[in-house]
Amino acid sequence: MAYRVVIVGGGAAGMQTALELKSRGIEPIIVERDIELGGKARGWHKLFPSFTPAGDIMQPIAQRVKDEHIRCFYGQEVIGIASDGVTLRSEERIPADAVVVATGFTLFDAHRKQEYGYGLYDNVITSVDLERMMNGGRVTLTDGSEPKRIAILHCVGSRDEKVGQKHCSKVCCITGVKQAIELKQMFPTADVFNFYMDIRMFGPGYEELYREAQEKYNVHFVRGRISEAAETINKRIQIKAEDTLTGRPLRMTVDMLVLLVGMSANYDNPTLAASAGLPLAPNGYFKANDSFLGVVRSQQEGIFFAGTVTAPKSLADTLAEASLTASAVDQYLKNKYNAK
Amino acid sequence: MRNINFGYGISRPRVINMDNNDLRKSNAIIAEMPELQACIGCGSCTASCTAGNLTDFNFRKLHTSVRRGEYKGAYEELSKCMLCGKCRLVCPRGINTRGLVMLIKRKLGDF
Amino acid sequence: MDDILLYFAPFTIPFVVGTLFLFIAVGVKWVLWLMRLPRVDKLLIRRGIFTRQTLIAVWEVIRESLLHVRIFKHNPVLGYMHASLAFGWFLLIAVGWIETTVYLGADFVPLQGHVFFKYFAPHLALQEHYAVFEQLMDALLLIVLSGVMLAWFKRLRSKALGMRRTTKHVLFDRIALSALWFVFPARLVAESLTVAVYGGGGFLTGSIGGWLAEVVPADVLAMVYEPAWWFYSCALGVFFVAMPFSRYMHILTEIPLIFLRRWSLRPNKERRSYDNFEVEACSRCGICIDPCQLQADLGLNDTQSVYFLRDRRYNMLSLKIANNCLMCGRCEAKCPVGINLNTLRLNSRAKRRNIPHEGRYRYLQGIDRSSGMGKVGYFAGCMTSLTPAVQRSMERIFEAAGEEVWYADRDGGVCCGRPLMLSGETDAARKMMESNRALFRKHEITTLVTSCPICLKVFKEEYHLEGVEVLHHTEYIDRLIAEGRITPKSDNTAYTYHDPCELGRGCGIYDAPRRVIGAVGKLAEPKHTRRDALCCGSSLANTVINDGQQLRIAQRMTAELEATGCDTIVTACPLCNKAIARAATRPARDIAEIVAKNIE
Repeated sequence: MAYRVVIVGGGAAGMQTALELKSRGIEPIIVERDIELGGKARGWHKLFPSFTPAGDIMQPIAQRVKDEHIRCFYGQEVIGIASDGVTLRSEERIPADAVVVATGFTLFDAHRKQEYGYGLYDNVITSVDLERMMNGGRVTLTDGSEPKRIAILHCVGSRDEKVGQKHCSKVCCITGVKQAIELKQMFPTADVFNFYMDIRMFGPGYEELYREAQEKYNVHFVRGRISEAAETINKRIQIKAEDTLTGRPLRMTVDMLVLLVGMSANYDNPTLAASAGLPLAPNGYFKANDSFLGVVRSQQEGIFFAGTVTAPKSLADTLAEASLTASAVDQYLKNKYNAK
Repeated sequence: MRNINFGYGISRPRVINMDNNDLRKSNAIIAEMPELQACIGCGSCTASCTAGNLTDFNFRKLHTSVRRGEYKGAYEELSKCMLCGKCRLVCPRGINTRGLVMLIKRKLGDF
Repeated sequence: MDDILLYFAPFTIPFVVGTLFLFIAVGVKWVLWLMRLPRVDKLLIRRGIFTRQTLIAVWEVIRESLLHVRIFKHNPVLGYMHASLAFGWFLLIAVGWIETTVYLGADFVPLQGHVFFKYFAPHLALQEHYAVFEQLMDALLLIVLSGVMLAWFKRLRSKALGMRRTTKHVLFDRIALSALWFVFPARLVAESLTVAVYGGGGFLTGSIGGWLAEVVPADVLAMVYEPAWWFYSCALGVFFVAMPFSRYMHILTEIPLIFLRRWSLRPNKERRSYDNFEVEACSRCGICIDPCQLQADLGLNDTQSVYFLRDRRYNMLSLKIANNCLMCGRCEAKCPVGINLNTLRLNSRAKRRNIPHEGRYRYLQGIDRSSGMGKVGYFAGCMTSLTPAVQRSMERIFEAAGEEVWYADRDGGVCCGRPLMLSGETDAARKMMESNRALFRKHEITTLVTSCPICLKVFKEEYHLEGVEVLHHTEYIDRLIAEGRITPKSDNTAYTYHDPCELGRGCGIYDAPRRVIGAVGKLAEPKHTRRDALCCGSSLANTVINDGQQLRIAQRMTAELEATGCDTIVTACPLCNKAIARAATRPARDIAEIVAKNIE
């Protein structure tokens, strides 16, 4: 009989872990809160740094999950985890030989930065809204017209203690560069301004893309965080920042303000962690066993992590980590049952 | 004659000379409020500044200069601050900017 | 001369010296404080002294200095403790006086003759009707002793008396306190021994004395008799010497303070001699400690009003202590002596550089970034530009009411000046006030609406805008609804309301916001509300606590708001709004937002 592993969360991390486990002869069960698999990557337009359509990556994975007949529970919320199974909201218990927590992250709610006017001003949108618009094939202002001047603000809900988000969300900088380029491709005559505190280009090809945005697409990078935004009578957005490189306050009016929203820890992390007696990191994410060889292991035997449940990660990192998780689970099960 | 700098001129030397600058006051300020060192230079304080909206006043540049041991004129500059507290509300690092204005003024002034 | 000799015994010396010292010390203090009063204050005294206020003051002295009605209202056990000691002692003195007068007629009896009457006149015990006084005096002594017992108990277990924390005292206080604790037990022992030797006594001293006479040999009694009186006299003497320098100075300071207050003297933004009366009227009871959120939420134990006043009185006030106060006014609302704690804190912050050099804020000259036209002026306030939902909601409401509005600071304005005032730079703040006042005058508004309670308070108190009605937007909206100019629809949303300190305790506006919320939904009150409402922690008055500490205060108070089970938290201050939004799991809205949302 195959060992059974419950994977909490059916996003990129959960699906990829399931596939890797299956290929090792282990029986994965995915418990997904939503009514379908895919997680946050579903509905994303294109991926940095290669502009690969997100569907090209995610759809084959989802298809393989189907083809491999991996058991999935949909619309089920896990409220308790242990090394020998999980408890659902319905109080049903799914027993298992090991558990993988792949519950991912929550998008930062841009409403919490009231000074940027999200939800208040028509043409203030988030990076996620922009991806959805691009998926829909049309990016416009609320009146249907094309934006001629766009500001993209980095670090909304990242590196901001005023909203309890001390950490860097890692992927927003490169997303901002990617979206700036996409906007320039859509509206070549438009001016795009990226407002940043620091540009963190950590991955392969990222720095090159940043340079491409500057050189080839003439995206303007302004080093300064926008402090407030106001709406003009004709629905444009007036923003205030400091151009810290010249040391002078900067004011400008744009047609559209894109907020690069960061990644927050899930609100139910504390309850889940408490149910298993696991610690959380100060930023609310699950704490990995260590930062080197134990990144997918929890401090409890039999409970593993995959993906952004432990820290913000790119999709590439998440998928790579899923294989690592599967390998660690496999190793654990072998040791556990061979020793008996 | 005008171009010779005797060290008393109004125009300050261009270089921040960290070999010559006396960092004792700066260190005393930082010792009292270590959070000043947490500034990541995002400029939110200056961007939102009520005084900066009306006159040439840049808190970020000012406290950075003080940290580098450049004190000249800092007290007079800081006197432009209205202490309204917007900067404290927007600082992503949660720096107690109002306390800082008062601290720097106290250390550089005569009280 | 004979009388004085008659009432002299060596053991009375400590008492007599102590008493004389007390009278001189207190006299010198009072005279100096009064002499140093500025002319305006002296004028107030001259105007007030022959008015009804003086009579009212007499009545208040009886109520507060003797009966302590306010402490009773705050906490009956503490009230009893205090009244049994103070009023009980007063009655002991008063009845003792009557006692001596009854027996000795109107003849002059020196002070120690009254106080140590039992020592000087033990033979009176044999007179029959003297028993009435004996019983009365014993009963009073018992009451005082019960107060002493409670005080001891309070030191050990303050919680039992309804105080989470009790004051930590300075050396003079400890000396005076120890002496005071000994005074009444010593009196009991001395009087009981006298009864043991001479007979008589009431139900207390009589029975103890009788018992002593039985169990203690007569020669031993004779030996400890004098020392017992010595001890009692010393305890009194030490207490009186320490008193002017200890917390017990409040006993004698509160009396002139009550009169001065009735004659309309008040502390001000600048330190004045009058402050001495307020500062030394603090009995260091410590009632201000528990309401202080810096104590309750952050565990800070050195900055509460009691310690602030103590430090200021002994000239050891540090700038940090002066600045480390939210000025939320929660302690002021509870102070049994009614000391103007916020004003005293404020004028302790005034610094030498307070008087600005001429060029300071010159850039304010002629600044006018206002827009629009109307008799109603809207001053959003600096902070409100960070809560644009409030501004937009106000614009919506103005529009719905058909109001023509002049916007003072939509494009950025000049700060109202209160933040600077709160840091002690009152004179510099005046430059901003003048700039704004000139602007209001120039645009000839008749109503000034602001969304920021911090601005509101300073507009009301310092701007002297005669002919201009100053309103907070909650009051303005309340009026619009009452006049039927806007008719927001009501739904079943459950709201809870946070009273901003500056709006509630600061300006006394409690009902208008509640009426407005009642017009659009249901209101549930949190545990601490109105005058007792908690502070959000972001108060501009505090420049000492850090961001993490501000957040902790916000979290504690927000948890209380959420405990009401509300859907939405409502407040009426942009600063409180931001603080609550950081800590809340539910939406935090300004009162203007929920109204604007519900206007058709």
